[in-house]
Amino acid sequence: MSFPTVFFITEEEINLNDLLAQITLPTTGAAAIFTGMVRGLTKINDPHETAYLEYEAYVPMAEAKMRQVAEEIREHWPVVEGIAIVQRVGRLYPQTPTVLIACTAAHRDNGVFDAARYGIDRLKEIVPIWKKEVGSNGEFWVEGEYIPRPGE
Amino acid sequence: MRVKLLFFATLRDRAGTKSAEIEIPDSTSVQRLKDLVARDYPGLKASMETVLVSINHEYAFDDAKVPANAEIALFPPVSGGSRES
Repeated sequence: MSFPTVFFITEEEINLNDLLAQITLPTTGAAAIFTGMVRGLTKINDPHETAYLEYEAYVPMAEAKMRQVAEEIREHWPVVEGIAIVQRVGRLYPQTPTVLIACTAAHRDNGVFDAARYGIDRLKEIVPIWKKEVGSNGEFWVEGEYIPRPGE
Repeated sequence: MRVKLLFFATLRDRAGTKSAEIEIPDSTSVQRLKDLVARDYPGLKASMETVLVSINHEYAFDDAKVPANAEIALFPPVSGGSRES
């Protein structure tokens, strides 16, 4: 049986149930799901309100790098069965999910949480997606800090 | 040879365009390409310190040579996910 890997950039609402169904096999007993959403009210580190975030992606490269993240997850955690990596782009308002990483496995205690954690961390390092924040602090691009190395 | 450049996020705003074509010598390195872009787009000069360059959807580093017919993109360090994630 081949293990399903789902990855894409979308302007549509992220459909968790549909994604879960795609990465659930007869042998699957656990899914670790991470989703990040737009935070409307930031209370620590420069408290401010966010009206919305504007996401953009370099789509063909972003999807190629999502595939790479999934491959890295499989190298580190061979027990992972299905993987879903989805980033929503466009103008997204507070309390809206923007990104989803889900990994499935036979059992919960074999690293599936770590696998999902690794997925979101890597997405934020190497997948070419950017966001512009608009809110009480004005309008500004949020830039990351990670500089990929050769081979990444 | 002529190559097509794509700009994203802050680079696009500062360049004032999503894409451009420039003429470069054969065997131009990525470092040299960045110098040429900064010459043609002075607004991007400051961005060249931290810019990431990709060639055909893979990250490319200063010593790499730009091949013919490549899809080249210039963009800032990435910031996907969400604010908290």
